[in-house]
Amino acid sequence: MATVTETIQEVHNDFALTLEMAKDEGKKVVGCLCSYSPTELILAAGAIPVGLCGSTQEPITKAEEILSPDQCPKVKATYGRAIAGTCPIFPLADCVIAETTCDGRKKMYELLEREVPMCVMDLPQKPDTSAALDHWIEEVRKAKTYLEQQLGVTITDDNLREAIAKGNRRRKLITNLYYCRIHNPGPINGLEFINTMTKLQYYIDIDNHLETLEQFYSSLQEQIDKKVHAHSANQPRILWTGLGNSLGCSKVLELVEECGGVVVCQEGCGGVTRSEDQIILMEDEDPIVSIAKRYLRVTCACMTPNNQRFDDLTRLCDEFKIDGVIDLAWQFCQPFEIESYRVKELVKDTLDLPFLHIVTDYSQSDTEQLRIRVEGFMEQIATRKRHDRRN
Amino acid sequence: MTQKKKHYFVGIDAGSRTTKAVLLDDEGNLVSAIRPTGINVGATAEEVFGDVLGQVDATPRDVKYLVGTGYGRVSLEFADTTVTELSCHALGANFINPEIRMVIDIGGQDSKVIQLDENGSMVDFIMNDKCAAGTGKFLEMVARKLETDLENLSDIHFESEQPCAINSMCVVFVETEIISLLARGESAANIVSGVNWAFANRIGNMARRLGIKEQYVLTGGVAKNRGLKDALNQYLGVPFAPLGIDPQINGALGAAVLALRSS
Repeated sequence: MATVTETIQEVHNDFALTLEMAKDEGKKVVGCLCSYSPTELILAAGAIPVGLCGSTQEPITKAEEILSPDQCPKVKATYGRAIAGTCPIFPLADCVIAETTCDGRKKMYELLEREVPMCVMDLPQKPDTSAALDHWIEEVRKAKTYLEQQLGVTITDDNLREAIAKGNRRRKLITNLYYCRIHNPGPINGLEFINTMTKLQYYIDIDNHLETLEQFYSSLQEQIDKKVHAHSANQPRILWTGLGNSLGCSKVLELVEECGGVVVCQEGCGGVTRSEDQIILMEDEDPIVSIAKRYLRVTCACMTPNNQRFDDLTRLCDEFKIDGVIDLAWQFCQPFEIESYRVKELVKDTLDLPFLHIVTDYSQSDTEQLRIRVEGFMEQIATRKRHDRRN
Repeated sequence: MTQKKKHYFVGIDAGSRTTKAVLLDDEGNLVSAIRPTGINVGATAEEVFGDVLGQVDATPRDVKYLVGTGYGRVSLEFADTTVTELSCHALGANFINPEIRMVIDIGGQDSKVIQLDENGSMVDFIMNDKCAAGTGKFLEMVARKLETDLENLSDIHFESEQPCAINSMCVVFVETEIISLLARGESAANIVSGVNWAFANRIGNMARRLGIKEQYVLTGGVAKNRGLKDALNQYLGVPFAPLGIDPQINGALGAAVLALRSS
C-alpha cells in the first residue's frame, strides 16, 4: 500500500481530466453535496455522480467575499469551490442535486444556484414520522423528473432497479473495507484509509469502480492473511465520529496518528454508517419508495431526534474494540455541536470510554493547540489501559 | 537544600507567556524559576534550567532525568521525555496534596480543567476553544486598556460597588465593550470586577461541563488574580484547596514529579 503522498488537489486534477474525456464522449455529470443525495437516480440516468462538497481551506477566502466568516468551513468551502475558479471538477457538473440539511447549507444553496443548475430537495427533519417519508418520496420523485428533464433522458423502473443493485454492491464493498480495520493490529492506518477512500469516491464508470473497490479489499485481505500490520496492537484504537473524515480537512485525524493513536473506525459524515445501510428492494415496491426510505435513514445531526446514531456508536465501539472516541464538529456547525453533548453522555457515562470533543475549522492555525488536546487524550487513554491491566 | 551530593529531577514547562522550571531532589525539596518565554523557547528553557541548577549549585550532570512540558515542549531538545501539561498539572497537584481531584489551570493562551485520580493520573480534561477568551492574555489586554497592570487589576476588583455586566469574552470585542463602558463613566473597579465575573462564569461553566470534583485547586499565572479567584469561588460555591506553591509552577512541578517517577 502506498503512503499518503498525493494531495487532494492532485486527486481533483487527475479526476477532472478523465471526467472531461467522459464528457467529450457525451456523458453527463451530476454533482452531489451530501450523503442524502440519492446517487441511484443519477446512475439510473446514465450519468456520473460526483461529490462536490468542499473539504479544503483554499476556496474559503473567496467564499468570504460573499458569505460571512461566521459560517461553517464546509459551507464556505463548498460555495468557494464553485466561485473561486480553482476547482477543476465543479465546472464539469451539468447540474447538482442538493438537500435542505442544515441552515447554512440550504441558505448557501440559494446563492450556489446562480452558478449551476440545481435541484434542492426538501429533506424532512423528523424522519421517524410517516408524513416525513411520504414527503420525501415525493421529493425523490421530483428529483428523478428533474434529472430526466435536465439530462434529456428517461429513467425507467428497470434502470432504477439496476442502479440500486449496483449502489448496494458499492455500499457492501465499502462496508467490507471499513470492517477490515476490525482486526487488531490492522492492515491500514486511518489516514491512509481515508486517503484511498477519498480517491476512490471519484469514478467515471460504476462497474470499473466496483472492481477497484474489490481490488482494494483483496489487497487489505491479503495483508490481514499475511499478518502485514500498519500499526501495533497496543496503539490506542480511536473511533472517529462527527465530521472531518475526508482528505483535505483531515488535520486532526493526522494529529491523532502522529500522537500514536490509530483511527480504526469512522462514524458520521463519510463514515461506515453511511455505507452499511442498504436499499431494501422489494419486488412489489416502487423503487423510488425503496430509495427514499434508505436515504431518509442517514444519521446526520440535522435530523431530530437522531437516535440511530447513538445505537450505531454503541455497537461500533464494541465491534471495533475502541479505546477512545473523538467527536469533531466544524466551527459554527450547530447540529453536530449541540448533538455532541449527547454523544459525550453516551461515550463517557454509558460506555465508560475516554471522550474528546474538538471544534475547529479547515485552517492550520490551531494545530499546536489541538496537538496538546490530542496528545493529552492519548495520555488519558494510556493511563486507562494501564489501570485496566492492573485490575 | 543541603550541600551533600544529590540526584536531581527537573521539570520545565515552556508556556506561551512564561517558561517555568522546577528542580526536585530525592527528598522532595523543590526550587523553581520563571522567565518570560520570549521568542526563543529553547534558549529560555536553557536559561530557567540554569537558574534552578544555580540555586542548588549543581550542573546538568547531576540531573538524573528531565521532563519537558507546555506549549513549547517540542523545542526542549535536552529533555529526556516530553508530556503534555495536562498530565503534568495532575501530577503536580497530586504531589502537593493527594486528595486533589481537579485542577483548573488558567494559562497565558489557554485554560483547562483536569480531573485526576489518587495516583496523580489525568483521567479527563476539557480545554477552551482556540482563542484568548478565558486566558491570561485576555486579562493582559483588559489591564492595558485600563492603563494599569495585572497586580493592580487584582486589587481594584474588591473596590467595585456594582460590577458591570460584561458580555464579550473575546479580546477584540471586550476592548470595544470597555471603551463603551468608560465612555458611559463607569469606574475602572466596576469594569474590572465585571470582567472577572464574566471570566469566572466562563471558566466555571467549563468546569461544570466536565463535572466538579472536590478537592480542587486553581493554577496558572491567572490564579494570582485574587479578584478572579474570589469570583470563581463564589460562582462555583466551593473554595479552592490551598496550593502552597506559586500557582504558576504547578505544571513544571508535575514534570519534575514525572522525572522523579521515571528515573
